[in-house]
Amino acid sequence: MNKYTVINPPSDFKVINTHVHNIDGVAKVTGRATYTFDVKLPNMLYGKILRSPHPHAKILNIDYNKALQLRGVIGVATGKDTLGVKQGIWRRYQDLCDEQILPVDKVRYIGEPVAAVAAITEEIAEQALNLIDIDYEVLPAVYEPMEAIKKDAPEIHEGFERNINVTRHIEWGDVEEAFEEAEYIREDWFKCGGQAHMCMETRAAVSDYTPDGKLTIYHSNQSPYYMQGLMAGVLGMREGDIRIISTYVGGGFGGKFELDGAIFCSAVLSKKLFRPVKIVFTREEDFIATKRRTPMFYYVRTGVKKDGTFCAREAKVFTNGGAYTGMGATALYLTGFFHSFPYRWPGYRYDGYRVYTNTLPSTSMRGFGAPQAMWCSEQQIEWIAADLGLDPIDMRRKNSHYEGYEVPGQATIASCGIDQCYDEIKKWIASKGKLPPNRSIGLSACGFMSGGIFNWFDTPYSFSSAVVTINQDGTVELHVGAQEIGQGSNTTMAIICAETLGVKIEDIKVHSGDTDHCPPDLGAWGSRQTLMSGNAVKMAAEDAKKQLLEFAYAQSGLNIVYDLDIKDRWVHAIARPERGYDYGELVKKALRGKDGQRIVGRGYYTPHRKGMISPAYSYMLQGVEVEVDEETGKIKLVDTMTAHDCGQPINHLGLIGQLEGAFSMAAGYGYLEYMPYEDGKLMNPNLVDYKMIRATEMPPANIAEIDTYEPEGPYGAKEAGEGLTNPTAAAIGNALFHRFGIQLKECPIRPEMILNGLKEKAGQDKAAGKDKPGKKK
Amino acid sequence: MINDFNYLRPGTLKEALAMYVEHDDCKVICGGQSLLIVMRQGMLTPEYLLDIKHVKELDYIRFDKKDGLKIGTTTPHRAVEKSDVVKQNYPVLVAMENKLASIQVRNWGTIGGNLAHADPAGDPAPVLIALKATIKVGSAKGERTMPLEDFFVDYFETALQEGEIVLEVQVPVCEPKTGAAYQKFNLLESDMGVIGVAAAITLNGGGKCKDVRVVLGNAGQKPIRVKRVEELLIGKTLNEGLFAEAGTIASEDCDPVADIHASEEHRRHLLGVLTKRMLQQAWEQTKG
Amino acid sequence: MEKKKLRLTVNKQEYEVYINPKALLVEVIRDEIGLTGTKRGCDTVSCGTCTLMINGMSVKSCSILAMQAEGAEITTIEGLEDNGKLAPIQKAFIDHGSYQCGFCAPGMIMSAQALLNENPHPTEWEIREGIEGNICRCTGYNSIVRAIDATAKGAYKEDRS
Repeated sequence: MNKYTVINPPSDFKVINTHVHNIDGVAKVTGRATYTFDVKLPNMLYGKILRSPHPHAKILNIDYNKALQLRGVIGVATGKDTLGVKQGIWRRYQDLCDEQILPVDKVRYIGEPVAAVAAITEEIAEQALNLIDIDYEVLPAVYEPMEAIKKDAPEIHEGFERNINVTRHIEWGDVEEAFEEAEYIREDWFKCGGQAHMCMETRAAVSDYTPDGKLTIYHSNQSPYYMQGLMAGVLGMREGDIRIISTYVGGGFGGKFELDGAIFCSAVLSKKLFRPVKIVFTREEDFIATKRRTPMFYYVRTGVKKDGTFCAREAKVFTNGGAYTGMGATALYLTGFFHSFPYRWPGYRYDGYRVYTNTLPSTSMRGFGAPQAMWCSEQQIEWIAADLGLDPIDMRRKNSHYEGYEVPGQATIASCGIDQCYDEIKKWIASKGKLPPNRSIGLSACGFMSGGIFNWFDTPYSFSSAVVTINQDGTVELHVGAQEIGQGSNTTMAIICAETLGVKIEDIKVHSGDTDHCPPDLGAWGSRQTLMSGNAVKMAAEDAKKQLLEFAYAQSGLNIVYDLDIKDRWVHAIARPERGYDYGELVKKALRGKDGQRIVGRGYYTPHRKGMISPAYSYMLQGVEVEVDEETGKIKLVDTMTAHDCGQPINHLGLIGQLEGAFSMAAGYGYLEYMPYEDGKLMNPNLVDYKMIRATEMPPANIAEIDTYEPEGPYGAKEAGEGLTNPTAAAIGNALFHRFGIQLKECPIRPEMILNGLKEKAGQDKAAGKDKPGKKK
Repeated sequence: MINDFNYLRPGTLKEALAMYVEHDDCKVICGGQSLLIVMRQGMLTPEYLLDIKHVKELDYIRFDKKDGLKIGTTTPHRAVEKSDVVKQNYPVLVAMENKLASIQVRNWGTIGGNLAHADPAGDPAPVLIALKATIKVGSAKGERTMPLEDFFVDYFETALQEGEIVLEVQVPVCEPKTGAAYQKFNLLESDMGVIGVAAAITLNGGGKCKDVRVVLGNAGQKPIRVKRVEELLIGKTLNEGLFAEAGTIASEDCDPVADIHASEEHRRHLLGVLTKRMLQQAWEQTKG
Repeated sequence: MEKKKLRLTVNKQEYEVYINPKALLVEVIRDEIGLTGTKRGCDTVSCGTCTLMINGMSVKSCSILAMQAEGAEITTIEGLEDNGKLAPIQKAFIDHGSYQCGFCAPGMIMSAQALLNENPHPTEWEIREGIEGNICRCTGYNSIVRAIDATAKGAYKEDRS
């Protein structure tokens, strides 16, 4: 059903990369896991949000007196009940903090929250929305970036000329000279769609403000620390007076580490009414009022030599930023950076423009701009190979990154398994033999970051922290700020802790998702936690072990040249592993020796001098076998193989789950999850018309895991799970190219586009006097 | 948000029909798989909801070699899907049910409710019309039967008169040398169809086409029985060329909408392709 | 709206509640009876997180009026375990890592259990069809299919000792 092979088998770990069960398994498979969606507090009210029906309008007046008179309505909040703070997650750059949730001046997208009601039941709150009268002065609106940058386009944010919100420039080498060296140049325009995060748990928050000035918020998010910091900013409170609890989170995928309407409105209401207020988004609200993946327009010009050596690339990108910045500034940078991956470019230039429009703001979503980048880059590379009559794998291979390579001015590649990835995919293709006539294979390579080095949040804290405390019975309390959102973070941290400390996984109890009890951590985004939080955990566990072993050394009387270690709860001399004693004994001795104080180990990690983007990069090559019905344009995914380098795999089950899950999301981006807007309105804000891949569409997802060693990562580990969202759309496009010769510039690929492409190609071939279209692979 | 309503739960059909007449502004609910969505959106706000889900006497599948198949209105889709007698005699119905929504919906949703909802994208209607089904409806005053294609009037509108509910779907015994096929075009396996085509062919003793029906789903306000295809094929020796021609006719004799899933042109194209294919499949079955 | 009395049998326990007749089964299960394992994730009978079993068959409780479930045997995720012993399908999910964020897991497991109730030896395709009504955003489904397959093959036979 599924093949998982490992190239370069791992070393002798006791816990790392073994068949460890997710530690939250029992809670999740028995219905015991309590998500924010399930939280109920005493005296709790239910909140509902009134949203703007206009894409761009001045708010003239809000009259909610009638709503207050409805029996059961306890209060209404609008922007007037807030401090009017314009917030944003890029705290370091104040001009990018442009979003006042519950605005007072104007609304900038359909669905923007304008007022919020709290009532004793959800139904009454919803009825109350109809009793709020808002006078708007409708303003002209603009929806597409290419329209919004025109001189006469409506101004969406004051002070942003031509609605250009952020620009990014990446350049190295002498690009003009590099293009001169090229013997073949190709340029193309592409369009990349948006995508909804579609977390199974919609946005949800329960805010509880109490008369002692403390605010507790249960919230479904990817970073309790960010929420704490951002809420402190918008409410004018101290971070320490705010507690964020996010024990179980029903998915994040990049959409839940900014403030959302649920957390903000519930907190404002609770602060006004001194009662807990719960707001849960309906699925429709989740579609129309939570930020989405950034749609992008890409211009790519690439120059190569006739033998396939890459010379130069130039890319210009306009992104549809929507109404506010969010994490869009990062997506703008990363798309331009990963557009170069995984290849060496003597000359490279990227100019990105993020444009405000009156549509749903776009932000980060798993892949963070890289799926869009690969859609363009990996297809164009395939077309270039075909234009020049070169083998697409060999052409990629000769230009790829390698260990030690320096992306000029940007990054040093300290570990890179891409070369072996090519071998594995070649093997897979060969094993397939001759494909049936209605099927073809497409490939895509890519790479991704393991966390970012930028401190745009302007935190004074280490990026990750961890505390290890050893109890008298040998059980371990592991406190991390790393956030569990389903990716297996709790388990991965427990594995690293257990391996480092030398105990069993069952001995570790992970504390996360509560700012009152856990150290700060930037949270789950940008695939940072395995490397960054993992390093913090490793350091904390090493610290604890060192303190423990001091007592072992003291009583062992060993010669100074010998070392002790703990493995699998066995304290022993490394040179003489058969002689030792149980770790539990040592713990008791250490406790007594420290006057009854538990051993506490501390660890933290912040990347230093690691280039412009990330301390480490994962690599992969994916092949997708696609069947297309050429009369209807229907796509079926038949099989897939991904050769993947994430350094040292830590959480084996988690890794497979991440690879398969990323594929399903990436495939959705490639051919299913169409998100059309008309005049600023999303046309399919429901799961009937927004197509989500199901078990019947998912092909087997074979994996060849290339183990490399990343020096910056804990035990050599780097990211897995986000990078894999990058290649699939392009791979599907390339499969279609190989079968039909059509070059699809827009994703998601839709049946009509295929049929139109075939018609167009047939017309071109006829004009050129050719026979049947398509190059067989 | 669903409006407040008074809930009526009859035990027998007689009670149900009596209650239906007694109460104004009353809507019938059975499986509710479509109705509750519509009510939740506020598009229907009846004062009374008459729940016939547990009227057991309407939950049946009966077959005999003379009168054919009779399915009671509260029979769940899943029962039809799993029925041996349906599989043996009308395998196309089983195939259609297998791709309808999800197992959960088929376990609770009913075939009568589906037909009464009259969603132009509904799967059962085109197939049943292709099989020459009739539908029996009744009220406290009496019963009547009509060809199923006459039951559909417009988008979500049927020929049910005041006080009437769907009682039974009747499918006549298929003549010998009959084959039938149904397919819808969608991106996901059991998604509702962008369009759907059902075809049934009966050959005569000499191997020529004795009877044919092609019924298009989601191609207009109601299922469309393409009469011109019947005129084209009846009496002829069938071949692929004729099927392609039939496809062209089908793509013309319909009124599909344009929406985010497909343009009108694409829908017409798909209707043509699937008509050709379903005729081909139905024809192949007649030989078997 | 006057509340109506409703008797529901959930996980072999009879409950008596008073509800507005328009209350959906998922609302009554979660809010009146207090079993929050069953979730809700959409308004269009699409996502499957509200899946539970009525008389052993999987149904979506968001599109069933609670009143309609009177007299039936309802099983929710909480009812699968037996005095602290997990059902084989639950053990399989843990062993195969067939969940990640876990929000879809209760509904998915109920669909899986209902499938195995009806078809103890499903093929791979039948398994995929069996969970087709349940969306998972995290796993890509294959680990779920493996877990159901292993359960069907007896790998997690209940330990009655």
